[in-house]
Amino acid sequence: MTDDVDVTVTVNGETVTARVPPRLHAADFLRHRVGLTGTHVGCEQGVCGMCTVLVDGDAVKSCLLFAAQLDGCTVRTVESLATGDRLHPLQQAFKDAHALQCGFCTPGFLMTVTALTDRGERLSEPEIREEIAGVLCRCTGYDPIVKAIARHLDATAADDAARAAR
Amino acid sequence: MTGTLEQRSAPAEGRTSLLGTSAARKEDDRLLRGDGRFTDDIEPAHALEMAVGRSPYPHARILGIDLGLAAELEGVRHILVGADVRSATRPLTVLRPVPGAPALPYYALAGDVVRYEGEPVVSVVATSRAVAEDALELIEIDYEPIPHVSDAMAALEPGAPQVHPGLVERNLMVSNPEGTGDPEARVAAADVVVEGRFRINRVTGLPMETRGIVAEWRPGARELTVHSSTQVPHLVRKQLAEVLSLPESDIRAVASDVGGGFGLKLGIYPEDVLACLHAMALRRPVKWVEDRMEHFRATTHAREATHDYRIAARSDGQIVAITDTYATDLGGWNSSFGSAQLSSVVFTGPYKVDDGYVERRVVLTNKTPIGAYRGYGQPEVNFACERLIDRLARRLGIDPLELRAKNMLRPEDLPWRNPAGAVYDSGDYELCLRMAAEAIDYDAHRAAPRVPRADGRLVGIGLSSFVERTGYASSRFLARRGSQFGAHESVTLRANRSGGIDVYTGVSTMGQSSETAFAQVVGEVFGIAYDAVKVHAGDTGASPLNTGAFASRTMIAAAGALTAASEALQAKTLRLAAWILECGAEDVEVAGTVVRRRDDPAVSVPLADVFTAAILGQGIPPEEEPGLEATAHFEPTDAAYSFGTAAALVSVDPDTGEFDVERFVLVHDCGTAVNPMVVEGQVRGALVQGLGAALGEELRYDADTGQLVNGTMMDYFAPAAPDVPPIELLHTEVPSPVTPFGIRGVGEVGTIPPAAAIANALCDALVDFGVELDTLPLTPEVVWQAMRGR
Repeated sequence: MTDDVDVTVTVNGETVTARVPPRLHAADFLRHRVGLTGTHVGCEQGVCGMCTVLVDGDAVKSCLLFAAQLDGCTVRTVESLATGDRLHPLQQAFKDAHALQCGFCTPGFLMTVTALTDRGERLSEPEIREEIAGVLCRCTGYDPIVKAIARHLDATAADDAARAAR
Repeated sequence: MTGTLEQRSAPAEGRTSLLGTSAARKEDDRLLRGDGRFTDDIEPAHALEMAVGRSPYPHARILGIDLGLAAELEGVRHILVGADVRSATRPLTVLRPVPGAPALPYYALAGDVVRYEGEPVVSVVATSRAVAEDALELIEIDYEPIPHVSDAMAALEPGAPQVHPGLVERNLMVSNPEGTGDPEARVAAADVVVEGRFRINRVTGLPMETRGIVAEWRPGARELTVHSSTQVPHLVRKQLAEVLSLPESDIRAVASDVGGGFGLKLGIYPEDVLACLHAMALRRPVKWVEDRMEHFRATTHAREATHDYRIAARSDGQIVAITDTYATDLGGWNSSFGSAQLSSVVFTGPYKVDDGYVERRVVLTNKTPIGAYRGYGQPEVNFACERLIDRLARRLGIDPLELRAKNMLRPEDLPWRNPAGAVYDSGDYELCLRMAAEAIDYDAHRAAPRVPRADGRLVGIGLSSFVERTGYASSRFLARRGSQFGAHESVTLRANRSGGIDVYTGVSTMGQSSETAFAQVVGEVFGIAYDAVKVHAGDTGASPLNTGAFASRTMIAAAGALTAASEALQAKTLRLAAWILECGAEDVEVAGTVVRRRDDPAVSVPLADVFTAAILGQGIPPEEEPGLEATAHFEPTDAAYSFGTAAALVSVDPDTGEFDVERFVLVHDCGTAVNPMVVEGQVRGALVQGLGAALGEELRYDADTGQLVNGTMMDYFAPAAPDVPPIELLHTEVPSPVTPFGIRGVGEVGTIPPAAAIANALCDALVDFGVELDTLPLTPEVVWQAMRGR
């Protein structure tokens, strides 16, 4: 198509240049053009949160963005979390707490919490529940997810405090 | 053993290995790393995409379809309409027919008449989904709307619009009566009779991954490969073979990771047939991934039913008869699993009553077809039964807890055949009831004065007790119901040269942790290290013919097959190892990654060496055949009945009807827990689905237009994290005598008791208002109206 647009995006540290249809949304771009299928699509109207990724550090629902809007942005997806075969501490916290069953929503929660963790706060359980209200899970009943997040935030805050003390 | 499952995470006494421990899940790492493989993640080269045009009307004649310029649109490759499908396929087959009902000729695309909003009418394949949808907009379909009916009770009235005229009279597909004794005589002679009409809401399971399919056809190889988001790949293969008139050998169905099923992904849907037809016509892979708007209209709904439930009792509270006549709303067609059948099976709940009658009436309406959903009739009938138990208690002035206890079957009564013919195997129902009461502080609540709390709210406690059928009582039982699947599970174990065991199963992975539990059983029985077991799930090209993941049946049946196959594999392994170690097979044992002498564990041979010897046929006894592989099938003789009691504590604002569930306790028994962590997860997850259906979820149809008014995630309120009340789970562990290891199913139980427990708590809190709630969902509006007698 003649009205395709050029985008240059940094995705998980790599520069991606592509020519995309203007109506292609960012989640489909990441999945089907960049090949990062860890970002899932559940409703395409910004409710379910499966497609949450980080754009310039903010957790956003990538089904509500056009790929063209990513031009010049830095994007992080779930594929960026683990190091080699070692799970990220947040992923490990989810595993330890049985915070996933079918796993379809999991990348949405992980990226939402990655942004949350960057704020460096300890949050109460009700606060955590509000923070993740934009991602739906139909398997776990949420309690294990909340538990995993609380443990992770506490551990991260403790690490930060220890680092500051050194 | 009773208490929380976390308290018992250590291996049970006498066991040193895996069964009963919270082994880390096999499935987790790939899913956590975004490395799962869901249907839309599969992208064969040169794949095309399909979009489906659907009826906007609940009931209309199709006068004509004008493809217009759609076929000329750049990128469009193929278009199908109803006539094409009729000439190329047979009607969709069903897996669980409604006994005694006529078959309905349901094709993948509508013929002359559409019968629900969302019914597929035309399908287009193009180079992208977007282009296919562009093409749909260019297609003109001339509809003539005809009168519709969207309420099942109205559909039974004389003069109602007919959904399948000529095939079904008065929209009543069939009535299925069951019962024993003489309940009518008992009712006539009873001291007291309570009865009520209970309306259960239409909801949907809403898996986070919608349905999807990738179909690929190689005519020269005669191979149709179908990647499908399904709970039952072997049954998808069977149904596609039937509908497409292909031999099963030409079809391979694969389900890799499935993003939730909950009963909605049982068997084929019209879009599966369409994708195959397009792929076969084009010799190109065709992908279809359901969007969420489609999902709300095209994937089966569930639950909607109206129960007329009646309990007759003596003045001392002894129940003498129970009857339940209920209508289930099937929608416009019969889906693979049709309307729920288990309301009948467990209609008397955990209570001892000899005289009972239950009748299911299956009714057609112009709505999306109903299908299976976690619980499959059991939440519905529990709401009716347990609401009426509380009403009976109030009528007789007996405490509802004591009324339940008085009528419950006792451990010594079991096994016991209920009036519907279900045989409850074992359990201590009253223990769960008492534990729930104690956990929620029932006695203190009853003793406290009935006045508003300091915050002005009224507080109530409600109970709901249940039994739950899990698994199937043999293929002979299923045959009597006309079911087109077996009661067994099967598994193939294959040793490999790395010293591991590959497990091949047709049970697809949809969150239920079957890979984990299967590996635990193999580790337990064979003795091999858990990490050395790898489960390959959901590929009909690799796994033995099986049944699939539904009806809380997987572990009950698969545990038997896994045990038998592990024992067979182990016996040969020990013989081969003994040959290598120059001793008798009875002198050696498997220990993790080696086979060792029992009397001298230092003398051992690695499993990798034994397995390699077997695979090569070198270094094995002359009388042994090479190879090390075992396939086993197992069919349970009976269903196992889980049981339990839920207790809810609510507080209500007496002015507005707004309420909070402040505590929710579930005491539950699923027999032996293979993996306590997974059991907790299953129970908790189902419970939140049950809470969602009880408190907010409802698919509403506009009576005038017959259209679904809230078919998006924006206005269908599945619970989010802040919506979930505090949940406390307690367990008892009575092993079932009829299943391997004493396992009972665990996947569905949580859906059953929430609605009744919360409704009973609300009615308890509002007893001075005379509130009796009989309609779901339980919203503040419903409560407020009930308080004002509306």
